[in-house]
Amino acid sequence: MCVFTELETGLMFLPFRSGLYLAIMCGSACILQAQANRFVSNDVCKECHPAIWNSFYKNPHFKSVASGKESPENTGCQGCHGPAGNHVDNGGGKETIRAFSVLPADQVLDTCLRCHSQTLSRANIRTSQHTLNGMACTSCHSIHRSQSTRALLRKPQTALCEECHTDVRAQFAMPFKHRVEEGVISCTDCHNPHGSFAPTWGMASRPRHVDQAMANEEPCLNCHADKRGPFVFEHLGVRVDGCETCHAPHGSPNSRLLLRPVVFTLCLECHNGAGNFGRQGNGIPMQTSAHNMADPRYQNCTACHVRIHGSNADSNFLR
Amino acid sequence: MVMRITALLLVIASALFAQAPVAPSPDLAGERLGENVHNYNIVDSFETGYRYSTVGGSMEQYRSSVNFGNGIRLLGSSLSVNSKNGHGRLFDQITLSTQGLGNDPYESAVLRVEKDRLYRYDMSWRSNDYFNPGLVTAGGGGQHLWDTQNRMQDHNLTLFPQSNLKFFAGFSTSSQEGPGYSSIQQFDGTGNIFPLFSNVRRVWREYRLGNEFRVFGIRVNWMHGWEHFKDDTGATLATAGVPGVIPPQPPPAGLNSFQASDPNHGTNPFWRAALFMDRELFHLNGRFSYSGGRNAFVVDESAQASSPARIQNVITLGNADRPVATGNLNLSFTPTSKLTIANSASVYNVRTLGDSYFAEFDSQTQSTTVLFYNYLGIRTIADDTNLNYQVSPRWGFMGGYHYSDRLITSQKEFTFAGATSTSPAEQSNQLRSGEAGVRFMPWKPLSVLLSAEVGTNSHPFTPIAGADFHTLSGRVQYRAKSFRLSAAVNADYNANSVSLTSYAAQSRTYSVSGDWAPRDRFTLDAGFSRAHTYTIGGIAYFLDQQLFQGQSSIYLSNINSIYAGVRYEINTRFDLYAGYTRVQDFGDGRAAAAAGVGSAPALFQAVQTFPVAFQSPMARLSVKINDKLRWNAGYQYYGYRQDFTSLLGYRANTGYTSLSFSF
Repeated sequence: MCVFTELETGLMFLPFRSGLYLAIMCGSACILQAQANRFVSNDVCKECHPAIWNSFYKNPHFKSVASGKESPENTGCQGCHGPAGNHVDNGGGKETIRAFSVLPADQVLDTCLRCHSQTLSRANIRTSQHTLNGMACTSCHSIHRSQSTRALLRKPQTALCEECHTDVRAQFAMPFKHRVEEGVISCTDCHNPHGSFAPTWGMASRPRHVDQAMANEEPCLNCHADKRGPFVFEHLGVRVDGCETCHAPHGSPNSRLLLRPVVFTLCLECHNGAGNFGRQGNGIPMQTSAHNMADPRYQNCTACHVRIHGSNADSNFLR
Repeated sequence: MVMRITALLLVIASALFAQAPVAPSPDLAGERLGENVHNYNIVDSFETGYRYSTVGGSMEQYRSSVNFGNGIRLLGSSLSVNSKNGHGRLFDQITLSTQGLGNDPYESAVLRVEKDRLYRYDMSWRSNDYFNPGLVTAGGGGQHLWDTQNRMQDHNLTLFPQSNLKFFAGFSTSSQEGPGYSSIQQFDGTGNIFPLFSNVRRVWREYRLGNEFRVFGIRVNWMHGWEHFKDDTGATLATAGVPGVIPPQPPPAGLNSFQASDPNHGTNPFWRAALFMDRELFHLNGRFSYSGGRNAFVVDESAQASSPARIQNVITLGNADRPVATGNLNLSFTPTSKLTIANSASVYNVRTLGDSYFAEFDSQTQSTTVLFYNYLGIRTIADDTNLNYQVSPRWGFMGGYHYSDRLITSQKEFTFAGATSTSPAEQSNQLRSGEAGVRFMPWKPLSVLLSAEVGTNSHPFTPIAGADFHTLSGRVQYRAKSFRLSAAVNADYNANSVSLTSYAAQSRTYSVSGDWAPRDRFTLDAGFSRAHTYTIGGIAYFLDQQLFQGQSSIYLSNINSIYAGVRYEINTRFDLYAGYTRVQDFGDGRAAAAAGVGSAPALFQAVQTFPVAFQSPMARLSVKINDKLRWNAGYQYYGYRQDFTSLLGYRANTGYTSLSFSF
């Protein structure tokens, strides 16, 4: 027990921390304990944990054992769990080894990032909302009891994300939705749970955890390539404020994931001519007097404005 | 014993899926030892069977939202091959999983082949039958009907994946093909709407090459890619002489023929470079990208009408360009293990410009030629600073300040009869927001997170964009060995007022979910969510050429969602699962569409809320025949109802029976 950090395992099991840093944080007592510990052969681990070891060759971390070239602190069980000498000498126990079930989230992260920081997709993990909100790698990943063939997830990806994001789960149960439950797409097609680079298509770097398309565009365009353009006549609201201006990306009770059940109400809330808004700050153009809203033909705006996402031939998106 | 517990945990967890479609069945075989062949261990499972469905009510709506049909399917499969010593000759690992193959509307296959330290190849293939019969929730008929198949592929090859020098190559493609209906308005602004038939043909392809290396402790990752897009859809008149589908119509003006050919081909080469480093006290990364999208198009339309006789030809051609440059620079500093200070700066500069030559010959209005030129530039600079302080393992605080500056410049220009008209515009916009939060653990299994954000936007682009907004959110989670309960609340408020109109929105979401696995043989998960949305926006419109201004459009939605699932292993042979999902939008409580809220006429009052109900109970039985074989059968009901109209409701009985084989 490290009395300074109130952690059962203490900092002595973090080999990437320098000795000087340890001395500042924990005092010399921790240093002495750390020095007293030692690495043991993986065969020793196998004696008491045969179930884990016998199928460990299927685990991606088996690479560290198979190579035969890694140093002890980067190999097999002790590569993650730290030197096991004390653990063996004491006949087991979570307090004598780096047991992830009792480690604080930041120490779990530090341990995993010793190797896994070397990937661009995890470059922002330390500043991601998941990390800042106290989540650890082991909140989602299960190294020894994974449920997925990829990424050692604790559960299948959709179920895992929906465990916390219950409101999003409800959106995917809507009559109109992206086919996540059906398995066609997954949460990580649009989101990076490890933290993304700040998207710049909106203001104030929102939203978070959304992965960009190549040119920092919204991930919607990865699949809906026909909406990307460039168009000579861009629908400015779409280009400036994004797809969410009109659509609910997860799911909606309305057809085409629209924010409103009827198209004209959606359009008229912006196209009301009110000052300050729009390209010239004098309002977003309102409909002309030729539009008689009592006539049903004018109530479905996109029946005529067919190229509403952008057009090359008509400034009013008519062709 | 440990092995058995592991297997049981796998079974328990697999039963706690979200309520996905009833088939494929979750894998109940637990951890399998597989078969050893030479130096490899092979684990395989597949499920094949028959899926059926019967639908009453609106078949179109069913196909749009569920779309499962009848037939024999390879409902799901999973294969993994692992070398036992990590020294396979050609590969060390192969994993392949599939779903829905054999004509399900949603099909996918995911493959990974890997040889340690040498290469890693990832492939995903997906197919999605997209059907949209032009639905509008209010019961009206839209004009855009699609019955297309979308296919997507991703291929990624990484050489030397564990080394400091890696190489990447990738290829992605997606396509959309199939019949569709569109519409066009001829011949003037108040003309009739005519249905068009389209043979949708869209293809997008991307090729990528990249490399990653390490220099002076910094990892550098770059990638160069080429995107190509083709849309050769075109359109022809669906039904000659019929003037559209929306009643009532004015006296029909015939349209004998219409043809449109509008090939649209684009390319978008891009460069992306990133650097990142992870040190004890600080972490630095940056990402820079540049893409130069270019689009070339031709639109060739010809229309011929009678009563009165009229011929119209339209030719449009031109190019559009969109160069985009972006940059992100993130720095986080960890002076102590308790404190993290992070700053993220980003810049985004996009310019979209293009010209469009428009030539029209009309037998009544004669020739018109216009040259358009449009420019739109968006430059955004954003900076986020966040501070996170962990006072103790049980207490932590966070705060942040976010600033964005956006400059929008635009120009609209057209040349007509030798005269050029130009209307340049520029506007700037600053958004500032601050947030604060606290998280604490009163005791170890219980965690609480509270946060709030307040922001202002000096010059929002649209009336519905965030202007003066604030957000409150909270999350509580209790997690014990066999029990988990979490609850969350999120409230967003936005006020956006100007002189002529006003817009205000509030949305509140409450959700609670939990799962309980008291015994190996019994699991229960359930959840409830309520999403309340209330918006009021100013609208302006014409009724019989009379302008109505200063009126309010009110939209009110109250969506309640509940789900529950219970799994019970009756004995070692029989496994039963039952689940229920219901989503209901209660709207504003109205019983009929006629009377409503808001100051607008009845036309608007009637469409401000649309109560709908969607429910889906399901049950599944799985019977273990022997260690390698299971028989499964399941039933799922889908029911959809719109309270204000019965046109689009449906009831569907779906089910399946299958055999699962695993070793």
